[in-house]
Amino acid sequence: MPILSLIIFLPLLGALGVAFLPSSRPSLIRFAALGVSLITFALSLGMLLGIRAQSGEFAFSEQLSWIPSFGITYHLGVDGLSGALVVLTTLLSWICILASFGPIQTRVKEYFISFLILETGMLGVFLSLDLFLFYIFWEVVLVPMYLIIGIWGGADRIYATIKFVLYTLVGSLLMLVAILATAFSHQAVTGSWTGAFDLLALRGTITDPTLQILGFAAFALAFAIKVPMFPFHTWLPDAHVQAPTAGSVILAGVLLKLGGYGFIRFAIPLFPDGAHLFAPLMIALSVIAIIYGALVAIVQTDLKKLIAYSSVSHMGFVTLGIFTFNQQGVDGAILQMLNHGLITSGLFLLVGIGYERTHDREIAKMGGWAVRTPVYAALFGFFLFASVGLPGLSGFAGEFLVLLGAFIDNPMVAGASTFVMILAAVYLLYMYQRVFTGPLSPFLKGLGSHLTDVTPTEILTLAPLAAMIVVFGVMPSILTSSFAQSVETFLMSAISVVGQ
Amino acid sequence: MNNDLLTLAPLITIVFGAIAVLVSDMVTPNRNHAPIAVALAALGATAALLINQGGSTASALGGSYVAGPFVAFVGLLGISIVAITLLIAPAYLAARRYPTAELAATLLFALAGAILLGAATDLVTLFVGLELMVIPGYVLAGYAKRDPLSTEGAVKYFLLGSFSSAILLFGIVVLWGVAGTASLSGIAIALSSGAANAGLAVALALITTGSAFKIAAVPFHYWTPDAYQGSPTPITGYLSVGPKVGAFVLLIKLFVIALAPLAALWIPVLVVLAAATMTLGNLVALTQSNVKRMLAYSSIAHTGYLMVGIVAAGAGEVAGIAGILFYAAAYAFMNLGAFAFLTALQGRPGATTQLSDLAGLGRKHPRMAILAVIFLLSLTGIPPTAGFFAKTYVILAAVQAGGPATILAVIAVLNAAIAAFYYLRVIVYLFMRDPAEPAVQVAEGPMLRAGLLIAAIGTVALGLAPTPIIEAVVQALAK
Repeated sequence: MPILSLIIFLPLLGALGVAFLPSSRPSLIRFAALGVSLITFALSLGMLLGIRAQSGEFAFSEQLSWIPSFGITYHLGVDGLSGALVVLTTLLSWICILASFGPIQTRVKEYFISFLILETGMLGVFLSLDLFLFYIFWEVVLVPMYLIIGIWGGADRIYATIKFVLYTLVGSLLMLVAILATAFSHQAVTGSWTGAFDLLALRGTITDPTLQILGFAAFALAFAIKVPMFPFHTWLPDAHVQAPTAGSVILAGVLLKLGGYGFIRFAIPLFPDGAHLFAPLMIALSVIAIIYGALVAIVQTDLKKLIAYSSVSHMGFVTLGIFTFNQQGVDGAILQMLNHGLITSGLFLLVGIGYERTHDREIAKMGGWAVRTPVYAALFGFFLFASVGLPGLSGFAGEFLVLLGAFIDNPMVAGASTFVMILAAVYLLYMYQRVFTGPLSPFLKGLGSHLTDVTPTEILTLAPLAAMIVVFGVMPSILTSSFAQSVETFLMSAISVVGQ
Repeated sequence: MNNDLLTLAPLITIVFGAIAVLVSDMVTPNRNHAPIAVALAALGATAALLINQGGSTASALGGSYVAGPFVAFVGLLGISIVAITLLIAPAYLAARRYPTAELAATLLFALAGAILLGAATDLVTLFVGLELMVIPGYVLAGYAKRDPLSTEGAVKYFLLGSFSSAILLFGIVVLWGVAGTASLSGIAIALSSGAANAGLAVALALITTGSAFKIAAVPFHYWTPDAYQGSPTPITGYLSVGPKVGAFVLLIKLFVIALAPLAALWIPVLVVLAAATMTLGNLVALTQSNVKRMLAYSSIAHTGYLMVGIVAAGAGEVAGIAGILFYAAAYAFMNLGAFAFLTALQGRPGATTQLSDLAGLGRKHPRMAILAVIFLLSLTGIPPTAGFFAKTYVILAAVQAGGPATILAVIAVLNAAIAAFYYLRVIVYLFMRDPAEPAVQVAEGPMLRAGLLIAAIGTVALGLAPTPIIEAVVQALAK
């Protein structure tokens, strides 16, 4: 059974099904979307369990001829790395759909259709092994996200969503040129189009030094915008602040990971020489992102914006780890991607829950929230400490491994980045203090009985994330062992190919 | 002689079809559907004949007309364009009391020109085909004869069009003189052995200028916005697609076949023209608030993308021509679709469409708005639509050609990002703004709906499963 195709296209089929449901019955639409996303989640768990039983680098491979004139195939496969990210995607998708039940009250049908198409796009990116197919899914992600921010977003949503699309598009279009150049160079060398777009056939064969440099630059730009790395991050705060809660969650939880995944799966294995050439620059930009994101987060007055900038800082660890090219660094980078997906998603969900009650995110207006809603405050505190990197919670392991890897590579870099773990504590705890402790602020008092504690549904959206944060915090080896093979292959493929 | 007639059958059918349309209108003067039905039947018969001829090549008229897969492709594309135009136009014209039969007949004559252009193997036939294709365009641009804007546009189109035809004709004559033959392939042979001389330089300059006028490349584009804005909307749709595709067939024949030995001379010129065309077209489209004018400028930008294919083909990549043909097919469906959408919004006489008129349309007419989104995404070049694959094909050819063509490829994709801004802005109005007051009227009859649907199916199918068209294109080029 083609389980990967099933996982990718089930949400799309679900979207088609939802399209035929009557708009007058929003709750039917909501539960249909939830059902589809839960089945997809269950399938992806089954796939994850099955990966180890399969031999070879990629499990459940599917390869069909699609555009034979150019050797473009429909090629899917999954390994430990993409498997973990697929499960993160399917998990966050149903959580987001559940979390949208209350907040989304207008154009319910269109919203869930967009969300399910978005899920198909994201899963396709993680499971494609053909560059052309990968690119198509990469762009498909863009359209529903554009609509989600633009239709259901905040006051400045149109500015934010167009900025998001244009930034991403500039990067990805140059990547398209690089993909075509790569394919053509393969055709010119081998004399046939067979495998010209196939990642596995191309890996390690691109020996043209110019293509190594330019190809890497184009891929890296696309992924750097997505991660986002400094100085391409400016779309992120706008998009996060304007997006509806579930949009922010998916943006932080999955879309940013597309960038990190792209580096590990495509940019570096295809262009290792280019990657080594640019590595010092990438490391420098990563360290700048780590420090700059944290510093800017300190002075933010909007809760969502603060977490958005903390994302810039945390994702800096991901790119730093990848470009150390050692096992600790890369292990840490992947852990950091997964953990950031769990923790920041939780924080955005919590900010959204608060916003539902106060219709405000201004930190200065808050204060003493814990007095009225102790459970909410406790949950917020839990995710916040995970984000700070408290040992025992999952945020710690990833950053620690990245720093270890960076230390092997360059102690100066590691030193500068370690300093930031203190800054993270500063901006998050300072925010927590202003929002949750002390006497109840007049603004919150004015809300009266509207300021309720979290509902059971909301706890249901947060509980799986919290549980995984604890489990992976205590035993990060569950994760690292699941993608050990992928990291090993990655490190092998990151060795220079020019001049061999 | 009999063989000649068989080879020319599609051309003859279409011309007789055009006459039959006029006769049917004389017989039943007040029934708009009769001429359309006759025209569609003629198109169907021509399509069948072309498909039948597509398998092998045959020549007629002493070798100056060669039927075969290339003509079949160009002809079928032209038939699709004319058929979609004929489906979307009648309701719009009827509401304004403009005749339908003349439109159908004029379009069929233009189609005959396009087929002749595709089949021409010498300079004279080529020029006759070109004129047969563009003169009906002048008539169509002035179709709304009581509207001063339409008349102004038509006069500009006619004057500049005749002017550029004259320039082109001068160039062709000089080229004939220098090469000593009118045959396209003969010219290529003659030029590859002889050294460059002053006459050749004059011919090249005149032909380049004349062709640039015909495809509306910057800075020879000034007639387009006026001609497009003044014409009735469905006719603008045709003008932005039909004559443009035909002009690119001319470019393929003149530059890629006849002037191939001089590629090193004309490639730099076309690189600059292409870069200027797409950049200026997109930048000006950004500033338009009238949707029709925006689409007019965006069609200039698409000319620039198509020119990338000519440059790649000039550098020796057959994929360049294949890319142009695929792009032309994709562009025909998506651009006509966008104009069909616009036509539906302008049911009432005198209606113009500003961006703000589209606000909230997604809520009131969701199906119509979703079709518009498909066309706009395709024009932007977002997968999995025809527009994406078309751009990819052209860019692939440019990357293969290397050198200046690669730089052009990068300029093209950056332009695609600029274009995304104004195409997506339409989607912003459709879905993200509150409805305008008073709301815009949507008029969709069964024919318009059929036209929209055909365009939409073409746009999606060419994106999801491009293989059949690629194979047709590749076959069209294999002689």
